Amino acid sequence: MFLLRIVPYLLAGSFAGFLYHSATQIEFHRRGSTLGPDFWPKLLLGLLIAACLYEIGRIVLFRGRRGGASGVLQDLVEESTATRGGDFVATEARSPWRLVAGIALTTLYVWLIRDLGFFLATLAYVFAFIALGGYRRWGVNAAVSLIGTALMMFFFMKVVYVSLPIGIGPFAQFTFWLMQVMGIR
Amino acid sequence: MGGVLAQLAGGFVDVFAPMNFLALTVGLLLGLLVAVLPGLTLVMGVVLALPFTYNMDVTAAIILLTAMYVSGTYAGAWTSILFRVPGEPIDVPLLWDGYSMARKGEAAKALGWTLVAAGFGGLAAATVMVLLAHPVARIALTFSTPEYFSIIFFGLASVASLGGGSLVNALISLFAGLLIATVGVDDTYGAERFTFGVRILSDGIDYLVVMVGAFGLGEVFTRMEHRFKSVPLQSVDKVSTRLPTLGEAAAIKGTFARGTLLGIVIGLVPGAGATVASFLSYGVEAQYGRRKDLMGTGIPEGIVAPQTAATSSVGGAMIPLITMGIPGSGATAIILGAFLLHGLQPGPQVFETSSHIVYAVFASIFVGVIGMCLIGYFAARYLVRVLEFPEVIVSAYVVMCCILGAFAARNNLTDVWLIVVFGVAGYLFERFRFPIAPLVLGVILGPIAETNFMTTMISFGNDWTIFFTRPISGTIMALAVITLVYPILRHLRRRRRLAAT
Repeated sequence: MFLLRIVPYLLAGSFAGFLYHSATQIEFHRRGSTLGPDFWPKLLLGLLIAACLYEIGRIVLFRGRRGGASGVLQDLVEESTATRGGDFVATEARSPWRLVAGIALTTLYVWLIRDLGFFLATLAYVFAFIALGGYRRWGVNAAVSLIGTALMMFFFMKVVYVSLPIGIGPFAQFTFWLMQVMGIR
Repeated sequence: MGGVLAQLAGGFVDVFAPMNFLALTVGLLLGLLVAVLPGLTLVMGVVLALPFTYNMDVTAAIILLTAMYVSGTYAGAWTSILFRVPGEPIDVPLLWDGYSMARKGEAAKALGWTLVAAGFGGLAAATVMVLLAHPVARIALTFSTPEYFSIIFFGLASVASLGGGSLVNALISLFAGLLIATVGVDDTYGAERFTFGVRILSDGIDYLVVMVGAFGLGEVFTRMEHRFKSVPLQSVDKVSTRLPTLGEAAAIKGTFARGTLLGIVIGLVPGAGATVASFLSYGVEAQYGRRKDLMGTGIPEGIVAPQTAATSSVGGAMIPLITMGIPGSGATAIILGAFLLHGLQPGPQVFETSSHIVYAVFASIFVGVIGMCLIGYFAARYLVRVLEFPEVIVSAYVVMCCILGAFAARNNLTDVWLIVVFGVAGYLFERFRFPIAPLVLGVILGPIAETNFMTTMISFGNDWTIFFTRPISGTIMALAVITLVYPILRHLRRRRRLAAT
């Protein structure tokens, strides 16, 4: 099981290796002996790969039993919470499906915002997000989503002058009507 | 000195201009609310407030964000003391003595100690900030690229070694952040790096996008996985604040002084922030304080030490930001972003070009600390009620603000896609215990670090030893190396001790 712990380092190290290869392909005209634009990223990638290899080696060598050096704050927190209690880290049960649904919902929102326009996409997103979060007072949810979205649209379009996505076709017509109602030009 | 006082007086006049004063009040209230809500961290709050300042006057914008930063270090203490719910990681040390004091029936007194500690720490640090800023800026004017690089290197070293989590994970996170900063067209050669044919990547990845994604969206995803828990509040109506007497405060003047000094010094170190200051100050008091054996039983020293340090770290952190343009923490990085968005570059020259803005910001910290204490004294009982608000609704609007913030910066939907990517990355970082702060600070300081490194290499014929042979940069580099090596030595010593027992 301890081998699973090497997965993040393996992935990070491999990706860094791929980027290192990309860094060797950077095109530029070298000026004398000065360092090129590839030097700095290659240096960082080298350090990143070395750190990943070190951690993989440490996990494999000690079979995941021994922890490495940690930051000073980590030590302070561990020592203090061990003697005094009050761990800040949440320990409730996880709900992976809710997380996946939340990420999917957010992705869908960003996907649709250009076509539906800011108001309709955000209204639907906020409502669905709150429902997904387990809040079951539908009337409150609808009111909060509607009022909040309208206020945000008014503030950003009327006060901060940000041109938010208006949507396409009938959705754009709806946004124009709403802007007229809100007094946004 | 007379000139500084005259400019500060001018700053006070500016702060009381209607729009600036309104920004200050709104900033204080938002900072207090953000600190109370466990789902929102101080940095996240300041990130979310940034897009609302795009259209504001530069002074009002900086005042609003700075006020949030100041008051954000204070209000989390209320929920730690009253409900054993730390609003911020900064407030964890307040559980040990603050909550213990409340359980003895002295919650009002504990809140009073917090208020006095935050007020004293904030005002003392603001005074030191005003006194030090000008001399530091004058010294910074003599700095060349090796000195700037060494300061940034020190900041990056300290964010990795002073933070939470594994040192290797922090370094990986830091390198990842520095790499993200290399995406786009290189300044010296105009070469494209890691753009993979995507046009918007040629402009680079804005650090605000990384911050909003990793801190804001990532945190929401994490809390979504934990099913958004709200806190049941008992007896909120009985919340009141009772200030300690002058005699009581004078009896622990050493704790006030130690906490404040430690907070300012930690704030000055780029990379270390209020959380490190709070924990370290509590640790120092528990190890060297006059009543060290009673720490954790509900004594005032256990409240004053972390709270003075947390609030005074703000004054310390503002010094490198204003005088050198180097942000030392997440919150100051966003304030730097606000400066840059309004076309103002903090640094040694800022005292010549825009001193009225700088002194208005300085004055706003004094007024902000006093305002924060007044609001805390009279309105704590109303503000803690925000905890009753369902966290899922707050989170939905956090996501909306994240998306609007990213979109409004460049009016480009690609930035919105990027914050979703960095949101997922932020969640994964937290899930696999890679700290986010080094990633973000890497993205922020990366371009400055690279520019100063490359310029030094060009100027000194690729001689990298120059960083160690010049007196100032050499000293700072030595400090950085010590900072990096210290956790390793500490780890080895602890392992040896464990083996012996």
